[in-house]
This record gives sequence, C-alpha cells and structure tokens, in this order.
Amino acid sequence: MEAYLVAMLVFAGFYALMALGLNVIWGLAGMVNLGLVGFFAVGAYASALLTTKLMWPMPLGWAAGAALAAAAGAAMAVIVARLRGDYLAIVTLGFAEVIRLVASNEIWLTNGTDGISGIPGPWRGAVTPQEFNLVFLAIVWTAVAIGFLLLARLSHSPFGRVLRAVREDEDVAAVAGKPVLWFKVRAFCLGAAIVGLSGALYAHYNAYIAPDGFAPLLTIYVVLALTAGGVGSMRGAVLGAVLVLVLLEGTRFLAAAVPGVSPVQKAALREGIIALSLILLLRLRPQGLIPERTRTLHAPKATP
Amino acid sequence: MTRTMIGRRGALLGAAGAVGSFAIGGKAFGQGAPVVFGALPPLTGAGGPYGPAMLRAIQQVVDEANAAGGIPTRQGGRQIRVVAEDDQTNPDAGVRGARKLIDVDRVSAIMGTWASSVTTAVAPLCWENRLPLFTVSGADSITLLPHQGYIFRTQPNSRLQIATGADFLIRQGARRIFHLAAQSPFAQSSQDVLVEKMRGVSGGAVAGYIVYERDKTAFRTEVDQIMRSRADTVFLNGYLPDVTILLRELFRAGFDGRRFTPAYALTQRSFETLPNEVTNGVMTWQPSPDVQSGAFRRLQTRFGNVEVDPYSAQTHDHATLAILAAAQAGDATGIAIRDNVRRIAAGDGAVVDNVTDGLRAIAAGRAVNFDGASGPVDFDERGDIRGTKFRYERAAGGRFELMELT
Repeated sequence: MEAYLVAMLVFAGFYALMALGLNVIWGLAGMVNLGLVGFFAVGAYASALLTTKLMWPMPLGWAAGAALAAAAGAAMAVIVARLRGDYLAIVTLGFAEVIRLVASNEIWLTNGTDGISGIPGPWRGAVTPQEFNLVFLAIVWTAVAIGFLLLARLSHSPFGRVLRAVREDEDVAAVAGKPVLWFKVRAFCLGAAIVGLSGALYAHYNAYIAPDGFAPLLTIYVVLALTAGGVGSMRGAVLGAVLVLVLLEGTRFLAAAVPGVSPVQKAALREGIIALSLILLLRLRPQGLIPERTRTLHAPKATP
Repeated sequence: MTRTMIGRRGALLGAAGAVGSFAIGGKAFGQGAPVVFGALPPLTGAGGPYGPAMLRAIQQVVDEANAAGGIPTRQGGRQIRVVAEDDQTNPDAGVRGARKLIDVDRVSAIMGTWASSVTTAVAPLCWENRLPLFTVSGADSITLLPHQGYIFRTQPNSRLQIATGADFLIRQGARRIFHLAAQSPFAQSSQDVLVEKMRGVSGGAVAGYIVYERDKTAFRTEVDQIMRSRADTVFLNGYLPDVTILLRELFRAGFDGRRFTPAYALTQRSFETLPNEVTNGVMTWQPSPDVQSGAFRRLQTRFGNVEVDPYSAQTHDHATLAILAAAQAGDATGIAIRDNVRRIAAGDGAVVDNVTDGLRAIAAGRAVNFDGASGPVDFDERGDIRGTKFRYERAAGGRFELMELT
C-alpha cells in the first residue's frame, strides 16, 4: 500500500507542476492554454532523446526539456498574439495535436508509435523499486516546492501585477505603457518551461513514453485541477492537482466498495463519479477551493 | 466539500470491509491466504469492446480452479482471487492501474493487457517487481524489451501476422499490392515484410505505400493514388473506423481488385454501417483461436455459445498458464510462475486442455503440456508464441464465409 501511495504522490507532483505552469499562462495572464500536453510532450521527448541517444546526464536533460518547452511556448505566444478566448483555446489544442502527430510520424527521431523505452532514471536498478519511488518523490516534490515558492513570489511582484492587468484588460495595460506582447511571451515561456520540466521528469520516472500517452485527456485533468483549486492561486494549483489525483485513484476503491457491480460497471461508475464530483465542485464553489487573493488595499467602490 | 469527505471516509470503510470479507472467504475454503491475479484489460477507450469478455474468460478459469481446490502449495490449497483494473486503453492510466494491482493487491501476475503502448508502459513495473505479464499485444518491440523472461505473449507478433497474410495473398494470385496503413507500431515493419515477400514472387511488387493518421475521416487522395497505381490488391492495414470509410470510398471509385484487411478492422458491426455491395468480397485474416480444441469449445459453451473473440481465448489461456505454473512450482510467487510456465506449456507431458485436469495431473506428480483455446501455447525464449493458426474469411452478403484455416 505504501508503495502505491508514494507512486501516486509522484503522479500528483507531475500534475501539480503542470497546474503551476498553466496557472502562469491562464491564471495570471488570462490566456487559455489547452495545449499543455504538447509542452509536456516536448519536455518528455527532449529529455528522453538527449539522455538515451546523446547520453547527456539526467539533470541536463531535464533542463533541456524545460528550455525546449519554453522555446516552443515563446513561439506559440507570438503566433497567438492576437487571439483570445475560444480561438486561442482551439489553436493551442491544435498545437498539442501537432506535437503528438510529429511524435508518431517522425520515426527516425522519436521511434514513432513504438515510443521510447528504457529511459534511465536516477539510481534505477541500483536501488529497489520502492527506494526509487522515494527518490523520485523527493525530486518531484522538491521541484514543486521550488516552483511554488518562485511563482508565489512572482505572482505578487510587479511582473505578476502586469500579467493580471493584461488578463483583465489588455488595452488598459497597453495604455499604461506596458509592452503587452512581451509580457505575454514571457508568461507563456515561463509556464511552458514548468510544464516541460514536468514532462521531462515524467519520462524518467516512467522509463517509457509514446505518443499515446500524450492524449488531450491529460490537459483536461490539469485544467480541471486548476479550476477546482482556484484559477490564479498558486496554492490552489497544487491543492487542485492533489485533489484530482485523489479523485482519479480514490474512485477505484469507492466503486469497488459498491456491492454487486461487475468490473465493467465499476469502470463506468468510476468515470461517472469523477465527472459528478467535478461538476458539483464547480457548481458549488466556482471560484475554486482556494480563490485567488490579490493585495488590493482599497477596492474602488461601485459608482452609483 | 463536506459531501466528498463523507464519501471518501465511507469508501475507506467500504474498501476495508470488502477486503475483510475476501479474507474470511479465503479462510473458509482454502488453507493459505488467497493468491491474487491482476487483470488489466481495457474496459473503456478504444479497446473497450474487447475488455469485458477478456475479463470474463479469466474469471471463469479462476472459478473452475477454485472449485478444483485452488493452487496446491506447501500451505495447502490456496484459493485464487482476480482483481481487475481498467487500463482505459491509455498508458498513463494503465501504469496507475498496474501500480495499484502490484502495491495494494499484491498480485502474483498481471494478465490481459491489450494495447501495445499500455503493455510497453506496464512491462518495466512487472519485471522490476518480479511479476510475469501475460499480454495479447502484437507490437514486435514488446518481447525485445529486457524483460528477463517475465513477458509471455499469446498473440503472434506483427511480423509473423503480416508474413502469413502476404503468403495468403500471393496464393490468391496477388502481384501488385498497395499497402495503406494507419500509423501504428506495425506500419513500417509490415511494409518491410511485404516488400520482402513480394520480391520473392515473379512480377510481384508493392505498388504503393501510404501511412495515414488513424483519425482521418476522408481518404480522397489516398484512394486516387490506389487507382492510379493499378494495383490488383489493396491491403488496408488499419482499424475499424478508418477501414469502414476506406471501403466505401474504394467502392465509389470503382476499385475492383482484391481488398484485404485485418479481422478487427472489418467486423459484424461493419455490415450494419456498410451496404453489402461495398463489403462483398473483402478478405480478412486473423490469428485464430484453435476452434477445434477442447479448451476453445468449453470456453464457447461457458460463454453461452456466442462468438468467442481471439483475445478472450488468449486471456483464458493466460489464467490457466499462471495457475498451472504456480501449481507446478508449489509456490505462487511471480518468479515461480515465470520459471514454470514453459514446463507446463510444452514438452512431453500429458496434454491437458483445461485447468481442472491440469491441476489434477500436477497433484498426481505427472508432467503436463497445456494446449489452450488460442493454440498450443508454446513459448520461445523471448516469450513469443509459436505455432498459431490463422483464419481467412471473405465477406459475402453481410456474413463472413471461411476461406482457409491453416
């Protein structure tokens, strides 16, 4: 049981990192990004390829994964500079699909739909599987902690305030003399880098990646995690990610506890419970579990 | 929030209760704690149509073995319990499901993984935790993993499947084959095998090769290229949704050559969506369960005389192999099962085709050779299956008629 809980906490860490990254792009800068899994895949493939083919050391691979995802994020931000709302969502969704298609068709590079197996992990093989889990738990949650501290600071810094201003009204921010595009590019870059880092870590934990693993479902989970936790709130992002994983995994036991259901019904019941809980959560607490706090001293009173 | 808290607490209590009741059941029937097998079939997602029957086949073997006294070990007969998790036909969900099976349920073996990507993702967990993995996935790469003997695959690998399919087409008189493949782990290896096979025939050639994305909904350019290539045979190496569209478009374009496709891409369901004049004459092939075998007939009776798909026949054999191997070892650990599968699956022992007879013979100290519903289930050193039969059928008037079974 402990080993399972540790493994699930590692997964929660990947989701938490992704939610933090998304929070910079969507929560602070207000750009809907449904292409998360694309950046995740870029990070994962970059690190996996560099460490297996060019024998780079793992930390360098992780850094390269984050850097490449950041570059992709920057390019993406420039491309979608004039898009907002639904249009932005569709383009980013398309980006993730493009990445997945490239990964499944550029066989010379990515080994196609066979995927890349045998990706090294820190001390994998030298320690027991359980110790490896613990090592990775430490690595992932250290990354989450550092990411959280930096981003929480950032979100209350002048940079974070400008991003919020851009989110609320681009034109006002521009009139106030802020180079809106430059801020958006940097936000996208930063968010994508964190998502890419998550992908890079994931590849080394799982030892195997394939295009099938980068389906839009993962993006949906993370968007839900952030929505449930509280868009714009860094603590909410981490909490939401843990909550989504508790829901995903807890429903296994919940559905099994219902007497007289076959495994097939159990599988359907699980998906039903997950959907229902999230609908209820969003219905009863649309601002998320930990709503965003802004340090506005005097809220302007509504003019009559 | 309060609502979900109560739910979760209830879930924990319920889960504890469920586990407790199993423990009591185990005590009442067998002497040792029950042996747990993990089933990881696709119950939702692309493999969803197959998973439920695969699971049912496993459950039936286990029920039969339990009725025969379970697995004999030094602690006496141990009953067997199956825990199933849904792999959602997704490697990420598959890994989480496998983690739960391994760490929470402490299974002795995992069986019934379907999609190649799920199998490849789950495999390292299995060999790191010293558990055998029985799979129906076809990708060549799976048994090439450094799995230390823990992978057993009852599905012939894709190379073998394509090679036998190509031989069949050549026997049918095909000389210019157009290969249209959905992007998958076996697209390129299929092409390599086809080229090699066609080179061996005078006048033989692969007239064209296109890989397409499986979610595509229109195939105008592909069909135009097939028409232009003047191929006498088109090999539709895809899946059900795309092959359905392709067949319709080929019919519209007036293609009159042979059409050949894997059996999972043209099923009974295709006849409901396509008119008969579109499907008439399409040939399919699949690795066939050994439909004449005693094991297959019994499984069919147990299923209520409905059609038994090849995957259920294979998972039936997965469960039987694991049980007999554990019985042979007198020990239900993963290593014991791995080391004994080949001893009970091949060799000069008495041929048995069901778990009850197998358990009885092993208890009597006789050597056994299990021949299953999917075939003779002999494994080579990599864990690949040897000597599977293939079944060739032709669609005619909304039905399949058997052409060859070799």
